[in-house]
Amino acid sequence: MSSSSFNNLKGLQVGLLLSVLAIPSGLPAQTPAAPADFVIKNATVMTASHGTIERGSVWVHQGKIAGAGAAVSAPADAAVIDGTGKFLTPGIIDPHSHSALSNDINEATSPVTPSMMMIDAFDNMDSALYRALAGGVTTELLLHGSANVIGGQAVVIKNKFGLSRDQMLFPGAPRSIKFASGENPKRVYGERNELPSTRMGNFDVMRQSFEDAKAYMASWDAYNAKLAKNDKDAVAPKRDLKLEALADILRGKLLVQIHCYRADEFLTEEAIAREYGYKIRAFHHALEMYKVGDQIAPTGTAIATFADWWGYKDEAWDAIPWNATMSMREGVRVALKSDSNDYIRRLNQEAGKMIHYGGASEEEALQMITLNPAWIIGVDDRVGSIDVGKDADLVLWNVNPLTTYARAEKVFIDGELFFDSSLPGFGTTQFHGVMHSSGFDGADDEDGDGL
Amino acid sequence: MIAGNIGGRILAYALLGACFGMPRAYGQSAAQPKASAALAGPNNTAIAPPGVVAIVGGKLLTITHGTIENGVVVLENGKITAVGPATATKVPKGAQVYNAKGMTVYPGLFDAETQLGLVEVEADQDSTDLVEKSDEIFPQMRVVDAFHAETVRIPVERINGVTNAIVAPASEDSVAGQDALIQLYGKDRNAMILSPDIALAMNFEGDLRRRGSTPGGRKFPSTRMGLASQLRQTFLDTQNYMAEKAAEAKPDFKGTPTKKDLKFEALIPYLKGEKPVVFGAYEGYEVEVAMGIAQEFHLKVILNHVTHSQNVLDTIASYKVPVIVGSIYDAPQANERYDAIFSLPAELQKRGVKIALSSLSDGPSADSRNLPYAAGYAVAYGLPYDEAMKAITLNPAEMFGVGDQLGSLDVGKVANVVVANGDPLDVRTSVQQVFIGGVAIPMTSRQTQLRDQYLPLTQKAK
Repeated sequence: MSSSSFNNLKGLQVGLLLSVLAIPSGLPAQTPAAPADFVIKNATVMTASHGTIERGSVWVHQGKIAGAGAAVSAPADAAVIDGTGKFLTPGIIDPHSHSALSNDINEATSPVTPSMMMIDAFDNMDSALYRALAGGVTTELLLHGSANVIGGQAVVIKNKFGLSRDQMLFPGAPRSIKFASGENPKRVYGERNELPSTRMGNFDVMRQSFEDAKAYMASWDAYNAKLAKNDKDAVAPKRDLKLEALADILRGKLLVQIHCYRADEFLTEEAIAREYGYKIRAFHHALEMYKVGDQIAPTGTAIATFADWWGYKDEAWDAIPWNATMSMREGVRVALKSDSNDYIRRLNQEAGKMIHYGGASEEEALQMITLNPAWIIGVDDRVGSIDVGKDADLVLWNVNPLTTYARAEKVFIDGELFFDSSLPGFGTTQFHGVMHSSGFDGADDEDGDGL
Repeated sequence: MIAGNIGGRILAYALLGACFGMPRAYGQSAAQPKASAALAGPNNTAIAPPGVVAIVGGKLLTITHGTIENGVVVLENGKITAVGPATATKVPKGAQVYNAKGMTVYPGLFDAETQLGLVEVEADQDSTDLVEKSDEIFPQMRVVDAFHAETVRIPVERINGVTNAIVAPASEDSVAGQDALIQLYGKDRNAMILSPDIALAMNFEGDLRRRGSTPGGRKFPSTRMGLASQLRQTFLDTQNYMAEKAAEAKPDFKGTPTKKDLKFEALIPYLKGEKPVVFGAYEGYEVEVAMGIAQEFHLKVILNHVTHSQNVLDTIASYKVPVIVGSIYDAPQANERYDAIFSLPAELQKRGVKIALSSLSDGPSADSRNLPYAAGYAVAYGLPYDEAMKAITLNPAEMFGVGDQLGSLDVGKVANVVVANGDPLDVRTSVQQVFIGGVAIPMTSRQTQLRDQYLPLTQKAK
């Protein structure tokens, strides 16, 4: 596609439409050529890192943010998108989603399954991705469910709906693994009269797993030592995917994301992490963090929580909608997350509630769905704010995104337009054909899907 | 327009209980919990003596007669006794004045479908009474028999401005039982139930075919044909029962009287069209079957959901029945546009359909406190603002026959009034004070108590 078709927004849309019309229906679109420079002008730019720029401009060059401010020094031939009266934010980032996993959320056949790779279930044609995109979501952490004390390894995607599976992967994103504590693992295995059926059992399973991993690591260390001494009798230990994954946790190679509700369990999890020498990246759900935020803040562990969802089970009974703001004020890094194919479409609205519940500033509220979840996923150097050098993952909204009335009008990822609500049909620029549906609402443990 | 001749039944419980709407003077609210334990009701309520409250200086969203900047609302003996601009509305002598300058004042919100009082912890079966599932036809089940007035959930919901709600059984039966209308504040159950058995909860949808998939046997009904046939037979049997009872009532009747059957008895007022049935259906073709049955038996219908009926919206409009839409947060079908359901309230309203919204979106944990945001979301997708406000106030009140009592700032209506620091439909807005039956209710809940309990602790730790 020639850059001349980008001279104005209309041309950009028409160009994209023409380019996709040539693609046979049902096949993924090809990667378009590197997009040309463009500038979104005269918008209210909410940077999520350094305040709001009224009537600001953002210049996108080769998929990155090249300038942001009252004025930018973009080339004269850069396409211009008029943002007058509109709001521009970084793309929304969901640090806890089970979308597009073909309903393969839990390998609930053993409480320890760290070698499960969520990418193996990722269905890039799932309509849940599309609806999240239309809600301004540009990055998702797709997690294993909470049936297992130690679940599987997550996949990080950019929501480039319409591209191929591999083109949707977030390049270079760190690996994350899902742990779960509390009611879910003990219920799933307890109902089968298996270990664990109690919280004691949950933590025992965890500790034994790390002991096994230490023994495995020691056996490899011994083997490698023998090799170094040219010992001809050295016999390599059997490679074991499960133990290798557990060893990678102890080696600090995996970001540990823990499903955990209760105050006492945050403290136990932190104690076990200290005992075995790994760091916890984030507690997910974390509905009782307001009770012990002062003790968790120094550990550096973040939380990914609901705005106001509560009461669906015992360990969600003490949830309060001030959890996020109270924890934030204690110094805990706070993100909001969906854990749902519904909420993922309106995380901006959930963030807006934080202004009501605890008086978050607009920037603090916005950070809960952009910069802070980016940190939890380990990609905050790449996305999550409107800063020069970051990926041009941007959402143009009709009104302030923290109000009820906000609609995402245009969603850009790596500087490329993937959703435009003014387009006919789906509003997608890259997707054409038939979407899949997992027939699943995306909630792991909150909706009685067997967990 | 369905508001009709059932108004006479309304508030029966409350009036019998003689405590509905018992107001108390603002300023003696339990927000300053001085009330003695003897005065405190079980549902976190303290009942203060009657008095007069004047809410002064706010922007009034009246619902029925526009917006009044700098208005006055007077609450007296549980009723609204004056509404108007400050320049023309007298504040009665001795009234407690609530200064609402800079605030928005609007009628209490009316949630058209909830399970309040039927569920506590959702996952805990022992704390839920949602629906009888051993049969499909249970009109004699009355939610008032399970309604738990002291639930932790009601204070959580009401402090965001929801003052009235329909309590309905879960939707797993063709005829799931009878709904109740509640007020979200009161001394006890009798004070909070404004109208028991206000409507019949009916459903026609594929999920009800559960017997067909029960392990160990395929029982009737296992198809939509079975469900429809079972419903029709039930109504025919009821008509037959009514005829028998009518015959027995004649002085010259000889023979054995038919045994009184609570199931049939429960259906009679609905077959007579005296009270509405809330008929839930999702797909267009299911709506058409449901309405076919309803028309055959002359039921007075409030349609519920119609979530995936985008293909028959004109047909729905032609029925001239009101609709409780959604939840608008339900997922569209794969390969539908993302906003196919967000825009449904607007599409129906545009066709002249009277719409209401309910909070029942995520199962029993759905929060009534989020009802105004659903209305705001409908505005984002095309519903005019005033119609969105109506959909959570006056419209549901009218659908259930209490439009003369609830749903607007009008003289003579129940004094359910909300004061907020901004637009009620915006997530950023905070409700400052809720008046229910003229009482400034305590703006507390178990959640605010937990907040306050831990707030000082964490501040100290800093």
